[in-house]
Amino acid sequence: MKPLPHNLPSPHVRGVGPRGFPLRLQATEVRINPVEFNPDFVARMIPKVEWAALLEAADTLHLVEVPKGPIEGYEHDEKFLRQMHHVLLEVDVLEGTLQCPESGRLFPISRGIPNMLLSDEETET
Amino acid sequence: MVASPTGSGWSPTAGARFFCTAGRGLEPFLMREVRARLAATQVEYISGKVFFTTCSDLNMLKKLKSAERLFLLIKKQFPLNVSSVSKGNIFNEMQRLVNDGPESWLNAISVWKNLLELDAKKDKLCQRDANPLKRKVGENDVTNLKKLKTEQMQELQESRECQPEKQMEEERVEQGDFLMNREKSQEAFQNEVVKAADDPSQKDLTFRVSCRCSGAIAKTFTAQEVGRVIGIALMKQFGWKADLRNPNLEIFIHLNDIYSVVGIPVFRVPLASRAYIKTAGLRSTIAWAMASLAEIKAGAFVFDPMCGLGTILLEAAKEWPDVYYVGADVSDSQLLGAYDNLKAAGLQDKIELLKVSVTELPLPSESVDVIISDIPFGKKFKLGKDIKSILQEMERVLHVGGTIVLLLNNDHHRRLQDCEQSGIPSNSKGSPTDEPGIEKCLSPREKTDLSDTVSSSSKASSQGGLDKMPRVGSLAPVECYQVSLGRTEAFICKYRKSHSLGLEQACCCEPGSSPVGQLHSSEGGCTGPS
Repeated sequence: MKPLPHNLPSPHVRGVGPRGFPLRLQATEVRINPVEFNPDFVARMIPKVEWAALLEAADTLHLVEVPKGPIEGYEHDEKFLRQMHHVLLEVDVLEGTLQCPESGRLFPISRGIPNMLLSDEETET
Repeated sequence: MVASPTGSGWSPTAGARFFCTAGRGLEPFLMREVRARLAATQVEYISGKVFFTTCSDLNMLKKLKSAERLFLLIKKQFPLNVSSVSKGNIFNEMQRLVNDGPESWLNAISVWKNLLELDAKKDKLCQRDANPLKRKVGENDVTNLKKLKTEQMQELQESRECQPEKQMEEERVEQGDFLMNREKSQEAFQNEVVKAADDPSQKDLTFRVSCRCSGAIAKTFTAQEVGRVIGIALMKQFGWKADLRNPNLEIFIHLNDIYSVVGIPVFRVPLASRAYIKTAGLRSTIAWAMASLAEIKAGAFVFDPMCGLGTILLEAAKEWPDVYYVGADVSDSQLLGAYDNLKAAGLQDKIELLKVSVTELPLPSESVDVIISDIPFGKKFKLGKDIKSILQEMERVLHVGGTIVLLLNNDHHRRLQDCEQSGIPSNSKGSPTDEPGIEKCLSPREKTDLSDTVSSSSKASSQGGLDKMPRVGSLAPVECYQVSLGRTEAFICKYRKSHSLGLEQACCCEPGSSPVGQLHSSEGGCTGPS
């Protein structure tokens, strides 16, 4: 699971108003994969990034060289884009948990796939 | 015997005429695709086949995604006249397919040879078998005719015989038959063909006839009989030898009430069978067709909330790579299968997997650009929640202006129509909109005239289906296509989200106005004390 915070899962309970803060990430096994650098693609992701959540995830994962926010003219700043490329696309959480800050509920991440089933009635067919 | 003059051959600018078989309902997609991908001209759709002319080479042709198989056209003409009482007369007509204008046969083979040579030149840098296996040329026997009879009988028993239009029954996806093996065997095969076709007398060329008969002619003849007649005519006309196991040249003949078509399959393996998909769930042609409707743009967030083995996401990611893809499912075994597929295709970096339920998506509202999904149906799947609540959750997470493309079966489709009629309880039996609704969706029928070009813009003809495709909240229906899944039918339905939830009255947001309604939120943040 990549900690791409613009869609970092947040449990949504219908009818209860706006979503809460994104889930807190804890990782016990992380893998860094080299991924081909595509500056256009990364540039498009930047506006969708939730920086507070990204920085928190980066901190938890002990990532260094993470930009603190979008900089002026980031679309053409290769250094910035490469750093963002690394944190958004090359870090894969294989084992860990996501925790809802409001309810405290833990969602496990196993073999890279987070289990976010909210109701117990959903079981595998 | 007319042979193409050595040295000149076919000019790439003139183009060659091809046809593809397509699953029922996918023809409009295929026509669009050949125009867009191959700059095809003279595109026609006739009863399950799409005919077109293009200058593209094998590499481009190989990329066709909505076709079953691709053939070089040898002949297309009016159906055989089966009204004659004498079988002999009809046999004569069949022989004329070969004997009238033999140049069309030789031209097609020459074109094919050129395509293969061009492809081989491009492959020079790649690894190649230094010595392609030399197969023994078929029996050089005078008693070939007798052998032909018995062998063809065996052969045709294995292959498809007289069947009603069952375009879908092509070879199944080959498991474990990966890129390397397939490419190697295709290359070796191509080398052999070029060698055999190069010889001006073409005496070394071996062939096999695959015949398909339907309609009136199927009532009088077996595919076997037809194959035999054609095979003998070919041997007499061109001196080729029959080889039923591993021929250089495969001849495909389809005779029905609408046409007689003869062609050469361009690739050994059907286009519909993808090298990059290890285990297919949904048929890959349909998966690609759905993705092609979804308006996927670079940088979009594309989500499949019931991804199963991930077929739709794989097809989409191969075609539109600069996109963020997420797939979700409730089943561990499906997700594991999906992960295997992603790895086998080399797409595990492009597609993210989640274990979530589509009825409770842990995604913020209006965060997704495109949703594409095959709604599961059939006895195997226990759909706990009904189709309407699934759509509502999808609607919630979708951006305004975003698209949803779904594959629905009859039941889902009907249930949606029922729910739309306010005041009428959800009851599939009593609904007056039942059958007509389904018929009104864009569903290609057998065309009775030979040349029938369906307009490239299918939206005009699908307008008739829109009044039967109900709105679901803010999801406005855009298009609907009826497609065949082999034994069953299904509908590809496209919706667009026209406005935010909580603003049912207005068609679109007034700029500057603050959103109304509890469900709409563009910023994150706790409502309670933080």
